[in-house]
Amino acid sequence: MVEVFAVASGKGGTGKTTSTVALGMALAERYDVTVVDADTGMANLLFHAGLSDAETTLHDVLAADAAVADATYERFGMTVVPCGTSLDGFRDADPARLREVVATLAAETDVILLDSPPALDSRAAVLPVVMADRIVVVLQPTIPAISDGLKVQEYATSYGTGVAGLLFNKVREDERIDDVAEKTERYFDGPTLAAVPETERAREARRAGRPLLAHAPDCAAAAAYHRAADALSVDHAESGDVADRFRSAVIPETP
Amino acid sequence: MRLPRGTLRKSRVVSDPRETLADVLDRTVTGYAIFESQETLLLDAEGRGVVTFEDGVPVLAYHTGTDRGGPPALADLAVPGPYHVSVFELGPDDLAAAHEADDLRVPPGMPAERLGGDPALADSTRRAAPDDRGQKASETADEHSAVEAFLEDEAKITAIREQAREEARARADEWDF
Repeated sequence: MVEVFAVASGKGGTGKTTSTVALGMALAERYDVTVVDADTGMANLLFHAGLSDAETTLHDVLAADAAVADATYERFGMTVVPCGTSLDGFRDADPARLREVVATLAAETDVILLDSPPALDSRAAVLPVVMADRIVVVLQPTIPAISDGLKVQEYATSYGTGVAGLLFNKVREDERIDDVAEKTERYFDGPTLAAVPETERAREARRAGRPLLAHAPDCAAAAAYHRAADALSVDHAESGDVADRFRSAVIPETP
Repeated sequence: MRLPRGTLRKSRVVSDPRETLADVLDRTVTGYAIFESQETLLLDAEGRGVVTFEDGVPVLAYHTGTDRGGPPALADLAVPGPYHVSVFELGPDDLAAAHEADDLRVPPGMPAERLGGDPALADSTRRAAPDDRGQKASETADEHSAVEAFLEDEAKITAIREQAREEARARADEWDF
């Protein structure tokens, strides 16, 4: 059984990687979770998961220089597949191989979270959304974040990918988030999973190279991520079917 | 709003106006920026937004397509990017006449909130603003109502969604999805 989620936002700065890792850790209490840095041009996940010195990364796998198993690391109760930060690594990586990577990982896990690029302007940026079963849209309660989130949803549904839910992030105390969430939900196909308060703990965790849920497990933001994970219903497809689906997806090899 | 042309400092396509606003604040630019959304279907064909700055802090906003100024001009401009942005520098005296137009003024942090979607950048901009710009306390409350007003504008949201669907379909062919 496996379901693949792309954690996406149309816009940068929404705390998408923090959210991907936090959701992953919270879901790992119930499922076997694999988190993949699918933002191959702006790798970030490794800094959140204490993997900044990882020798083999997704870049090597996408360049056909390493097997998937060599780029997977067991951290914080999850399997983590980080991406590298070198420009050479990015240049040599073929994003289309991502489907093979996901197909391989799908055979051995329950939930795959793809940390997706915060853009829709290239084939590589949209690929994780195309490959996922459903997206989790990370939003800040601002007009640009919500309108860009709507764009992500329309791209996803146009390519047959569903919407698992919305995650409001960096919510300030004085924001009337319940009203905003209720009005936002009218336009999205999924429910609000949680509203995560803005917290200095997230920045501290990032500096410490640890996930928020490991750095500050008792903070209000961590509790919100647990609520989001609880609200996320995971649909279990047979992993064999899913692996086949990724291998046969109509995505040509060349970028 | 009449502005001297000034010296062109930047002309490029950005995916997010936030980049321009952060850069203008960092470099304490005095002058103006012209934002032109590439999502022309959502805007008047002539639609361009102009935001003026003093020492990196926004002062006026005006939209050429709707002929609206102040906060409504930012609402007209707040559609998904990318944008083509040109930044022009001027001397402070060149802006004096234009800046007398009180009806075009915007609170200092509002462009960062509504165009950039970045409350933290809006905070930094408010801190950089001279004390006589005022309205600092009430700005946050205004932002909430702006987000809610946006969410109540069903026609605009429908247009954003339709445009995105068309774009996704066109690109599916281009990208072989």
